[in-house]
Amino acid sequence: MPGEALLFLFGTIMAAALLFMMVFFTIMFSDLECDYINPIDLCNKLNQFVLPEMLAHAFLGFAFFINGSWIAFAINAPLVAFNVQKISNNRHMYDATEIFRTLGQHKKECFIKLGFYLICFFYYLYRYDKLHKAII
Amino acid sequence: MNASMGGLTNQLNNMNLGGHSQTQLITVNLIGVPPNVGDLDAPPPLINLPPNSSVTQSDKANCEPSYKRCTFNSVPSTASLLSKSRLPFGLIITPYRSLKEGDDPVPVVTDTVIARCRRCRTYINPFVTFVEGGQKWRCNLCFLSNEVPSQFDWDLQTSQQANRWNRAELNHAVVEFVAPTEYMVRPPQPPVYLFVIDVSFPAVQSGAVATAAKTILESLDRIPNEENRTKVGFITVDTSLHFYSLNSNSSEPQMLVVSDLEDVFLPQPDDLLVNLTEARSVVESLLSHLGDMFKDTHTVGNALGSALLAGFKLISSIGGKIVVLQSSLPNIGPGQLKAREDSKALGTPKESALLQSAEPFYKKFAVDCSRSQVCVDMFLLGSQYSDVATLSCCPRYTGGQTYFYPAFNAGRSEDALKFAHEFAEFLASPIALEAVMRVRASKGLRMTSFYGNFFVRQTDLLALPNVSRDHSYAIEVSIEENITTPTVCFQTALLHTTCFGERRIRVLTLSLPVTNSISELYSSADQIAISTLLANKAVERSLSSKLEDARDALTNKLIDILGVYKSAITGSQGASPQLQSCDNLKLLPLLALGLLKHVGLRASSQIPTDLRSYAMCLLTTMPSQLLIPYIHPRFYSLHNMPVDAGTYGPDGIIMPPPLNLSSEKLERHGAYLLEDGQNIFIWLGRQVVPQLCMDLLNVRSYEEVHSGKVTLLQLDNPFSQQVNAIIGKTRESRRGVYYPHLYIVKEDGGDPSLRLWFLSHIIEDRTDTVMSYQQWLGHLKDKVK
Repeated sequence: MPGEALLFLFGTIMAAALLFMMVFFTIMFSDLECDYINPIDLCNKLNQFVLPEMLAHAFLGFAFFINGSWIAFAINAPLVAFNVQKISNNRHMYDATEIFRTLGQHKKECFIKLGFYLICFFYYLYRYDKLHKAII
Repeated sequence: MNASMGGLTNQLNNMNLGGHSQTQLITVNLIGVPPNVGDLDAPPPLINLPPNSSVTQSDKANCEPSYKRCTFNSVPSTASLLSKSRLPFGLIITPYRSLKEGDDPVPVVTDTVIARCRRCRTYINPFVTFVEGGQKWRCNLCFLSNEVPSQFDWDLQTSQQANRWNRAELNHAVVEFVAPTEYMVRPPQPPVYLFVIDVSFPAVQSGAVATAAKTILESLDRIPNEENRTKVGFITVDTSLHFYSLNSNSSEPQMLVVSDLEDVFLPQPDDLLVNLTEARSVVESLLSHLGDMFKDTHTVGNALGSALLAGFKLISSIGGKIVVLQSSLPNIGPGQLKAREDSKALGTPKESALLQSAEPFYKKFAVDCSRSQVCVDMFLLGSQYSDVATLSCCPRYTGGQTYFYPAFNAGRSEDALKFAHEFAEFLASPIALEAVMRVRASKGLRMTSFYGNFFVRQTDLLALPNVSRDHSYAIEVSIEENITTPTVCFQTALLHTTCFGERRIRVLTLSLPVTNSISELYSSADQIAISTLLANKAVERSLSSKLEDARDALTNKLIDILGVYKSAITGSQGASPQLQSCDNLKLLPLLALGLLKHVGLRASSQIPTDLRSYAMCLLTTMPSQLLIPYIHPRFYSLHNMPVDAGTYGPDGIIMPPPLNLSSEKLERHGAYLLEDGQNIFIWLGRQVVPQLCMDLLNVRSYEEVHSGKVTLLQLDNPFSQQVNAIIGKTRESRRGVYYPHLYIVKEDGGDPSLRLWFLSHIIEDRTDTVMSYQQWLGHLKDKVK
């Protein structure tokens, strides 16, 4: 099934991209802690990426669902649900006036996501590798 | 028996300390004893610094509590001791407090010699030590040796020997340095006042426009303008924006109307913001006509958002103040709001949503303002729902203040007088501009959360486009590392531009001893500062989660504190019939109960959200001196007050002794005065003697007394003069611009809601949902393990 292999290849690339995005977020947060950036600029910068990240992740989950890759979908579903809940409560954007109070929470979330995308990356790579070998 | 037990344990505890403690830990019983409300004015426990800790031995070497106070006056040495004690650790800072008669002005260091530590940037203060024969000074925060500037001993101007021990920064904990150019990013800005006035139909109808214009006109001489640099501008707004060209060469102002609300632009580049001195005549001409200009308007609708954006465009290059006078809900253009109050949601968990901002526009705008050194002050004069919760966002993040006049009607002289007085005081009060504030502390201490009106620009830097007079800020502190030094120091630096164009740094230094004994920690705890911090935290909590959570958190805090006191200090186990506390914390349960019953936090389905939001604004900005009467009103009996009360004594007007807030005190034939700094009530019992009605209100009997808002007559008899003197004293002795309304409340007859409102201040009594003071103590006792 070259389609499924391609999907996992795509997933690997996406996971890598999301991984980089999380690294960027983490760096920005520590910049804020060291006063290299002010909270207004930080929030303006990060808020541009919040929705694209969520959309990319949701799209990936959706693609796994369509393809019937149930395990991959099950891994991603909780995060999609978490994101949807955040958007519906209007809490997904970073707020410059609250950022210092919530910084610890944001950093924790970022680290967890970072780990999650890392695991995803290797899982997709492994699946792709297996499927790829099955073809040839 | 219990008291003697407590006394014994105290002695034991004090013996353990090796006898160096000077503040005695006195255990008192709470249950069954009415709280001594007179002690609310008592000073905080003494700060017992080791001898010779300040270099000059000046009695002003440590910070006065009115500028800065800590929740305890000896700091625990470890984080585990702090968490074991359960006491909150925080600072209450009022850096720009007003100077009342008899207060010493802040000494100013004018020679621009500012000695600071090279490493931690601490300013030199009375607690540094001089080493190497006075060549160097050792920083008391990080212990680095720094060079003493040569000007400390040699005056360059007179070329003479100078005495460094006379320098203000070594003698005073509160001191102001004139800052050289390194402390400026641009030349000091002039004060700027841009008035954004709502001129829609409800505003004109209620007389707000005319009153505001008249007040501004009369206050033109009082607006800070020593250097003749102050700039003013006016924008009036209904469904379109009206700008005023105030060219100093023309005699009449010219009105320019902009009706494009979405894409705001300034109709002309100059003359919209003008120098007050140069354009004085044309400004006067505008203000004297403003009241009549819109008197026939029927326009309903207000585009406040567009007006704010336009105002921002006008002054953002300079910075300054936008003074908003709003009488209706902004309902068109950007930032439009809906009348969202839902009386069914009141008293339910959904209520918190109504206390939060409904529209992100105002918060975003406030953040932009903070960046450009623009401060927004809101005067809300609405007769209907005004959405204080949303509109107060602008002042909150820009260092301004919200003022709220519910059901304002200038036709009532009391309303007009209150607004005009507060607005005029507000305009006249000197402000600090383009300010930043930072608190430095000894190694091991870190500032964690900040409460008040400002924007946190860096982890520990507060940005204040304007520092409003008498604003208080609460800061929570945590202990990161064990403290090994005998004292710690907190230094607050407020870099600001005065309204006469001088860049200055106000430095407040507070030095506190370190302790590793929990009883010493308790004996130095400051109940006023703790209540102030808890009030700030409770408001924060009720906005971020629910009002109920805030009340529970407050109750649990009290249970924790009293529980620790019981187990760790009095050493008793198991159930006991008594609830004990130390003498210096004995009013904490009462103040906490006052907070739980306060209009800002009380469980009730009757409190309109506007009033709640406004109360929360006040709770987070008031200095302790105002906040304590606000949560625990002062209560005096008038009919049997001492003969000398209300007359001049050696310390000004003599006040009658304060009473407990309990309806037991309300006698049928009595007359009482209750005030919380925002309102004053005079309660008349139903059998009050006719002579008292005659003397006080000039009516023949109780039946003829009208209840409600009044202005008290100045009658020619001793009783009336005494009462007027007492009211006058309460009005002027408090910090802040507030001018309380006076209400006459009758025991029966008259307005029942007014009577209920009065009775809601009687916090030691049981109200429908909340316990009485003794029940509350019983509840605390049961929960204390």
